[in-house]
Amino acid sequence: MSLALGRRHLAIPVALFVGLGALAPLCVLVVFSVFTVDDFDLVPDLSGRAWAELVTSGTYRHLIGKALLSGAATAVITAIIGYPVALALARLPTAWKGVAVVVLLTPLYTGEIVRIYAWRLVLGAEGLVNAVLEGLGLVDEPLKVLLFTPFTTGLVLTYNNLPFMVLSIWVSAEMVDRRLIEAARDLGARPIEAFFKVVLPLTTPGLAAGIFAVFALAAGEMLTPSLLGGTAGATAMAMIDSLFGTAYDWPMASALALGLLAALFGCASLAAFLILRLKGARAVLGRAR
Amino acid sequence: MTRTALAVLAAATVFLYLPLVVLAVFSFNDSALMAFPLSGFTLKWYAELAANASFHSGFVTSFLVAQPVGLLTMVIGLMAALALTAPGLRWRLAFGVMVLVPFLVPKSVLSIAQAMLLSRVFLDRGALALILAQTLVAVPFATVLVSAVLVRLDHRLIEAARDLGATPWQSFRLVLLPQLKGALAGAFSVGVILSLADLTIAMFLAGRTQPLSLIVASEFRRELRPDLNAMQVAVLALTVLIVVASESYRRLRARRRRRGLAVPAASRPVEALP
Repeated sequence: MSLALGRRHLAIPVALFVGLGALAPLCVLVVFSVFTVDDFDLVPDLSGRAWAELVTSGTYRHLIGKALLSGAATAVITAIIGYPVALALARLPTAWKGVAVVVLLTPLYTGEIVRIYAWRLVLGAEGLVNAVLEGLGLVDEPLKVLLFTPFTTGLVLTYNNLPFMVLSIWVSAEMVDRRLIEAARDLGARPIEAFFKVVLPLTTPGLAAGIFAVFALAAGEMLTPSLLGGTAGATAMAMIDSLFGTAYDWPMASALALGLLAALFGCASLAAFLILRLKGARAVLGRAR
Repeated sequence: MTRTALAVLAAATVFLYLPLVVLAVFSFNDSALMAFPLSGFTLKWYAELAANASFHSGFVTSFLVAQPVGLLTMVIGLMAALALTAPGLRWRLAFGVMVLVPFLVPKSVLSIAQAMLLSRVFLDRGALALILAQTLVAVPFATVLVSAVLVRLDHRLIEAARDLGATPWQSFRLVLLPQLKGALAGAFSVGVILSLADLTIAMFLAGRTQPLSLIVASEFRRELRPDLNAMQVAVLALTVLIVVASESYRRLRARRRRRGLAVPAASRPVEALP
């Protein structure tokens, strides 16, 4: 490079933006978590009260565990459903791929609240599913389990996050060299063997990225569980929100948020570590380097 | 295309569009109660919508917020992707992780933390804070989109341009940028889309600004109403229209370019590099 300032120096303004926008607020959480609330005013008197409460209270631990479980379950379900969809998309004729992206992403254009609302119309006592079931004579009275239960939360979390999982796996699947599959077939592998020995290993980076992303997105979701989950819809996020807004207990809100983040990233790093040890991931990432 | 693949795609499309179709059906249903069986066709919910002033202003606000978010997302995403794929970047992994932080941290945690920070600095909650926070969340998506194209580009083209005497800026503008057009358009739309669909960030940072999602959320919490359906269908139709229009424009240009390249390809680089 003849110039002293190169392309790589663009990293500096970007890092500043992310630093001020995301890292600074997270540092504020750390600071506020050891402050004290005095008569609805946050004062810098150091206290470990919030952290002690976080560790000793069963409620908080339960809520964090629930968030992790919900994230993990959504990630696994979307991966199982999304994988065949992504493979099918990769086989589309090129001219159709642009259309497929639009079809896949359009449901995301609707706001979070709209999707929640639309599912109420589908799953409610007088909704589509119950109307069809009653019309077919399969049930005598509306199924109550469809709406305001953990089932609803799971279904809608899957719905909200499926496009991200599909996109992520799809990108990986597009990069698989088709000649490798043909070579496997020529060497006598049955289609199912070619899938497990060639396609699946080579798409592990996309699968890993999808699981990572969906895990983070689903575990931190607040609106879907609280508006559709019924009595079981209490989440760590809703708790943080009410500690922040209604209770004005900012130290506790900060401590709980940090606890949730620590648990989330602990699990995510573990998953990443395990997936990066797989042979396929190493082959793909090694080639890219 | 095998038959199984087609069946999988059909099933996925039905799952993704079922709620939206039901939403649309009820927006034409002649009853304030949203229940099956349907009771006849009407356009009165759309008429009510057209008369609702708070929806109008909400729609305008959302639109005005989404455009700068799209632009900023595109520019910052491009910068991040260029840096991330640049030769000789130290701390590459750390930088990549840093760019992904706003995506990995749950939006609500991030927004609450930002609101706490804003309570102590000169920037107030409001349109500017909202635009910056929504951009921050969209930048990881844009970075991934643009980097994915950048790593696949033939870097020998850049080297060739430099060897032929192009300045770094010329080689960027004339060689790199034309190949990134699609990815940049994608980055812009991701910013706009995430901004329009966002409710969480707006809940904590919008201040007195009232984007459509906040207005709708306060209405939805109270009751289900057909005119809200009508509005969602209208918004959805509009976005689909924009997407389809831009996609067909892109295709048309691509087709013209292919036709144009077949004629005198030799004269083009000369006029391109002054």
